[in-house]
Amino acid sequence: MSPAPFTWMWLADGRLSLEGRPGARRFGVDARCLDGVAVPDAYVHLCALEDPEARIPFDQPEVQQVRRDAYAWWIPLLGEDLICLSTLSLDAVHYGGAVTVARSPRRFRDDPFARLFPGRVLRSDLFCSVDPPPGPVLERYAGAPWPGGRFPAAAAPDA
Amino acid sequence: MTTETDQSSEEEALAERARARQALEPGERFPDLDLPDHTGRARVLSELSGGDPVVLVFSRGWWCPKEQTYLRRLVEVQSEFEVAYARIVVVSVDPSEVQSAFRAGLGARFTFLSDSERRWLPRLGLLEASDTEHHPYRPIAFTLYPDLTVHRRYAGDWYWGRATPEELRADMREITRNVRPDWEPE
Repeated sequence: MSPAPFTWMWLADGRLSLEGRPGARRFGVDARCLDGVAVPDAYVHLCALEDPEARIPFDQPEVQQVRRDAYAWWIPLLGEDLICLSTLSLDAVHYGGAVTVARSPRRFRDDPFARLFPGRVLRSDLFCSVDPPPGPVLERYAGAPWPGGRFPAAAAPDA
Repeated sequence: MTTETDQSSEEEALAERARARQALEPGERFPDLDLPDHTGRARVLSELSGGDPVVLVFSRGWWCPKEQTYLRRLVEVQSEFEVAYARIVVVSVDPSEVQSAFRAGLGARFTFLSDSERRWLPRLGLLEASDTEHHPYRPIAFTLYPDLTVHRRYAGDWYWGRATPEELRADMREITRNVRPDWEPE
């Protein structure tokens, strides 16, 4: 197996942080979103709540459909504004929300992830640019936020 | 008048095309295409693969009734690809904004790559020479391993030569079985 393709973020008092503190809610996020040169003062559409009861199983159809919508029109709508996006995982089973990070907040009102948990706009220096995902709609490993990670490299067998 | 330099560069171009053609055969590594996607963002084929098998479809373009019909068939199987860790990528000479509209009309969620500048078309040797209006790609498809090794090639100049959904499923099964060591967990 590859190393876990996610890292942790914490949400408290309406702010995202890479350092945990008592009372803050912890989320798994696609590690690639934080592993590089951060885009300063980016706009973050955070569709997650601090309420620990705000969670949905990943396999629920509404969670799957939002990711299909992301491929179908959300990512194309954002175009060059998109910096990165990731779902926020709570554990091996539960979706806790999503972040879409962009150079402008002008499209955030259309964010399909806000159908699951309401969105709010933050500014952040934490996130870096990641190529938008071409698939899949599922997590690759239990608890790993979408669209993170890849399976171990495997070459074609010798002819 | 042909100079020695002209002749030399022509020979180099011919040699490059011959190498490209050879790379399109089963067992050979497909070139790592670098093209803008349907949003205009620069993409690389190996990155789009992301370690998963790929169906790479060269398509004439949005205007062609055969392409409209065939791509709808791909749309029918896209949900399976999305949960099976496999990718569909379509390449055409349509500009990105045209691909974006066409893709939305089809209801496709997979990636389109635009070679409107025809950078890769001559290098791959896939020009449909009979279409002097659009100068498009021939409708050729490949199933690829995650490292872009060609598994199978489908010549779709005649519509019935195109890969059916069942053939694509069979290819994806074969590739996945070969590259996933936990295909049948102990």
